[in-house]
Amino acid sequence: MTPAYFEYQNAVKILCGQNALDRIPDELRQWGASRPMVLTDAVLMKLGLAELVVDLIRAEGCPPASIFTDIPVDSSLGVVNRVAAVFREHNCDSIIAVGGGSVIDSAKGVRLVLSQETDDILSLSGVENISAGRHVPFIVVPTTAGTGSECTGVAVIRNEAQGVKMEFLSPFVEPDAAVLDARMTLKLPARATASTGIDALCHAIEAASCLQKNPLSDAHATAAISLIFQNLLHVVQHPSDSAARLQMALAATLAGIAFSNSMVGGVHAIGHALGGVCHVPHADVMAILLPHVMHFNLPRARDSYASLLPHMIGMDAASSVPEEERAQAMVNAVSHLTEHLHRLAGLHLRLSDLGVKEEDMERVAETALNDGALIVNPVALDRERVLDLLHRAY
Amino acid sequence: MKRILQKLIVAAALRLVHAALVELCKLDPYVHAQFCSLPNGTSYSIYTGHGAPVLHVRWDGQKLLRLKEVRERATCELHLKSLADSFLMFTGQIGLAQGYARHAFSMQGEIADVMRLARLVNRAEAYLFPSFLSRRILPELPSLPVPSLRLYGHLIFGFLTRSYS
Ligand SMILES: [Fe+2]
Repeated sequence: MTPAYFEYQNAVKILCGQNALDRIPDELRQWGASRPMVLTDAVLMKLGLAELVVDLIRAEGCPPASIFTDIPVDSSLGVVNRVAAVFREHNCDSIIAVGGGSVIDSAKGVRLVLSQETDDILSLSGVENISAGRHVPFIVVPTTAGTGSECTGVAVIRNEAQGVKMEFLSPFVEPDAAVLDARMTLKLPARATASTGIDALCHAIEAASCLQKNPLSDAHATAAISLIFQNLLHVVQHPSDSAARLQMALAATLAGIAFSNSMVGGVHAIGHALGGVCHVPHADVMAILLPHVMHFNLPRARDSYASLLPHMIGMDAASSVPEEERAQAMVNAVSHLTEHLHRLAGLHLRLSDLGVKEEDMERVAETALNDGALIVNPVALDRERVLDLLHRAY
Repeated sequence: MKRILQKLIVAAALRLVHAALVELCKLDPYVHAQFCSLPNGTSYSIYTGHGAPVLHVRWDGQKLLRLKEVRERATCELHLKSLADSFLMFTGQIGLAQGYARHAFSMQGEIADVMRLARLVNRAEAYLFPSFLSRRILPELPSLPVPSLRLYGHLIFGFLTRSYS
């Protein structure tokens, strides 16, 4: 059903496919930029992925004015403020983020600080509360196929003082361009391929079943689920299949556009809290929580889940499932997929495997209740219910 | 004329929500606990449209005070994007979740503070609105420890004795 009112926004130009990376210098030129700052992390430097981008833009006559390689796995507000200062020190004029969720979201924060001409990202926290500001050209090169952050209007950054993940929601958080090039995900290990793929699946499922869902977000979400169904298991087993890698990158971007326009839900609310309190990797937590939260949401998400089944298991298989059993079949299909990925790639299935401690659960539950994603979860979640879900996933 | 009427209704609704929260803080242990979890001095400002009513409140550790004016920014500011949106929300036609889904308001501050306020407002709405209306706008009807009539009794007494100004 079409909601009485909804909004849709996606202003990100998507450069997708063969030699996409090589187009970055021209994109910068079109924005009038010539002194980019490259943001990445130490692991990507070591793998040579950041270097690949740096070499390409150098060869095309657009050498970086600064390369910042110290974005931590679990970035924070402090890191964002420091990087913005380095950007100013080196007189950079644009940002190229090469990395996964932490690098991309940090870069979004840096861009916000610069465009709003402030020194502290914390002063900008809120929802749709800032105006356009100064334009700082911003290109994102994702190195995982999961976060979708390259196409979203939200940055999730850890507040180290409070031990919580903070969300900054604004259309001006969206990058100018996202570069999807299979070369960037070819070296992704099997388990990370699996967990980030499930993160993308989670974005699509939550986007298509939360209270903010709308026909345009649904279209992107279902397209993402179909691509994940067709490619995730394959790419885990055949990691060097460039075509399948690109399909997964596209799936993650589609899912990103979906949830950027309809939000996520309980999996992400609890996942953000686990990330903030226990410092566990986002994608791993998503893979563990998704089946449990879907099972919990089932009574209120029956129609949404049923409509996703053909995308999740294929039209033929779905048509043989009686209509009244399709929603439950969707939940089962997600469970089976994570179990299959556990056997194939060692995907974690329990929070205890990630080192989450039982004594942290109370704090995680309290933190999750204050996460913005909870407001649109189809079923109301209170402290007891979150604790119950955490124990089931433990 | 329609706009003036909407402003009057929204102004009355803002006062009612504030008064209900003051009373529920005394009557409902859940609401009391939620308020007690707020740092002293936490303040909220709710703007309901251009030239439309505004509600400024501050939790002083004991009571939710309504402020006539504010000198500094509230901990959390909610800006309803139009009077039409405010009217829908404050007359129970849409709930806070639907308002959020419709991008009906922008917010300055930490999302955690909006979530705290959302829990309180949802609870107040569960008391104030008849259940057929609450069922439509709340994700779930909470079980309430105090009957709505008792709250209304306290509110009538409170308004008559000018306890909320
Ligand atoms: Fe995610």
